[in-house]
Amino acid sequence: MSRHRSNIKPLLLTLCGAFAACASAGAAPGHVAAGTDPHSFLADFQRPTKVPVSKANPSTPEKIALGQKLFFDPRLSGSGVISCATCHNPALGWSDGLPKGLGHMGGRLGRRTPTIIDVAYGEPYFWDGRAATLEDQAKGPLTSAAEMNMPAAQAIDRLQSIPGYVAAFEQAFPGQGVSLDTFAAAVASYERTVVSNSAPFDKWVQGDEQAVSAAAKRGFVLFNGKANCAVCHSGWRMSDDGFHDIGLPGADRGRAAIAPGIVQLEHAFKTPTLRNINQRAPYMHDGSLATLAAVVDHYDHGFEHRESLDSQIHPLNLTSAEKSDLLAFLDTLTSVDAAAVVPVLPQ
Amino acid sequence: MKRMTFGCLAATVVLTVSAAAPVTVTQKGLQFSVEELNVGKGQVVAFVNDDRTAHNITVTGEGLNLNGGLQQPGADFKVPFAKPGTYQVSCGIHPKMKMTVTVK
Repeated sequence: MSRHRSNIKPLLLTLCGAFAACASAGAAPGHVAAGTDPHSFLADFQRPTKVPVSKANPSTPEKIALGQKLFFDPRLSGSGVISCATCHNPALGWSDGLPKGLGHMGGRLGRRTPTIIDVAYGEPYFWDGRAATLEDQAKGPLTSAAEMNMPAAQAIDRLQSIPGYVAAFEQAFPGQGVSLDTFAAAVASYERTVVSNSAPFDKWVQGDEQAVSAAAKRGFVLFNGKANCAVCHSGWRMSDDGFHDIGLPGADRGRAAIAPGIVQLEHAFKTPTLRNINQRAPYMHDGSLATLAAVVDHYDHGFEHRESLDSQIHPLNLTSAEKSDLLAFLDTLTSVDAAAVVPVLPQ
Repeated sequence: MKRMTFGCLAATVVLTVSAAAPVTVTQKGLQFSVEELNVGKGQVVAFVNDDRTAHNITVTGEGLNLNGGLQQPGADFKVPFAKPGTYQVSCGIHPKMKMTVTVK
């Protein structure tokens, strides 16, 4: 008997329609028994050797240098006091340490500020994935009235009034000048350089058995097995770059507001990377959980049941020792990274 | 049922088929097994979820806006491509998963 069940739908009926889920063959996710050799999973978490590049926006040293200045420049906000780095603060894991971000004139934003660490690998962008590219993402906060509150025309005028920027744009984008597109291309080029360093976990992946503790190794088995974390937190960044409702209470529709008509995208938010995760409390898209221990408790039993809840979420019944092992594993994902350089801004 | 599976995960894979039986495209490792698929008019393509996680096939193009709904691991979803043209196939849950079907 085939393990697959068919679900043919005539095209005539598919026009402009959202269909009910096709039947599942019922294959259970790959649960891993305690005592499983953790090495059997390590190959799935190998770091890539290269950082992705944008074909539409090839990186150059001039673009990166310009983007770095733009990223740290508060003059690119309506108030004159907010830069990209205000929320994406390198001293706070390239986030802000707040449950929800602060925008123009201190206004509270709707969601937690995502980190930009390893962002080159993680399209689409924003918690709801509304920006397909990093370049598109860079335009959003700049022009949002709630965030930096800098309309594009005003931003361009301000940049053109600063001779140092005019020269830097000409160096980075010969003949193209200052525009919202060249601004975004430069900022994205800089952001693609924000890459986490090798963490203890990576050293273990490379074969150093002393790089992580026995508790962390047990936690890694749980991560891939009983706790079922890796079903979404997959790959070396521990993110599938997908969207899931993980049962946090609230009215925020998340991805469904961008891609309506798919039940499972209601209250669904992008899976965040777990790289350097212990540097980025509080957690979740709404910053509602103060510690990683609280996050583990949420997945263990704290989630809200509703139709859109991801089908992989179910009570875990983790023991205290297992929770401790999971936390020990998560601690191995933090690298010692070079200090970010804050540039002198053009005048 | 004869199953034609193309499981290569290479960077760019273009496949041209002319077959009466359904052509199978797998979803594994959060990737489609082919990036570009060329088929004849009327070809049925079976999208099979070989991942541990659920997927959601969406197909757009040539007036079509198809949402296959939640596709659990192990399940397949068959789409007949009746009209010539170019179709974009992606996963609604994992939008990085993309491929193109061209119907001649």
